[in-house]
Amino acid sequence: MTVYFVSILLLLGSAFILIAAIGLVKFNNLYSRMHATTKATSFGTLLLLIAVSLFFNTPAIYIKSLLVIIFIYLTAPLAAHSIAKSFIAKKDKDSKKQKD
Amino acid sequence: MMHEVPEIVIYTGLAFLLLALLLSFVRLVRGPSVNDRIAAMDLIASIVTGFIIIYSMLWKSEFYIDVVIIISLISFIGTVAISTYLRQKRKSS
Repeated sequence: MTVYFVSILLLLGSAFILIAAIGLVKFNNLYSRMHATTKATSFGTLLLLIAVSLFFNTPAIYIKSLLVIIFIYLTAPLAAHSIAKSFIAKKDKDSKKQKD
Repeated sequence: MMHEVPEIVIYTGLAFLLLALLLSFVRLVRGPSVNDRIAAMDLIASIVTGFIIIYSMLWKSEFYIDVVIIISLISFIGTVAISTYLRQKRKSS
């Protein structure tokens, strides 16, 4: 029974990461691109980590997977926020140049 | 105790991740601004963690999860460092 769960979670997780990469290529704006990559990649990694912890089924793996999941869900929005902030600084600079 | 996962499932997952790596590499080469390239590098680090997770299932060795912890730490620090540096540089000039 666990084999089916692990297989479905593994395929779904890698499919979510593939969808994130397709969105990164297809969208035409930096904000839309980050909207595609940040959320879908975090969810795909979450599914892969649940699959690997069900696969090995030892307490150490559960704790390490929980650590990685918490860390990814804390830091992925921070990284996207920082990228967007630097993009806004670039746009401000360009509009200031056009005024001068 | 461990369970047997059919190899076709593991190889299909690896194929999905390989295709994702190719697509994000296209964005890394082609991206119009530096910020697109930083976003693509962030995605590439996540894809590499996915590769290592599936690889640990293929070889049935649970020590690869430590590598995942380290890569997620380093990729976050790298992304924030580069984009904060760019932001400071653009603000000051």
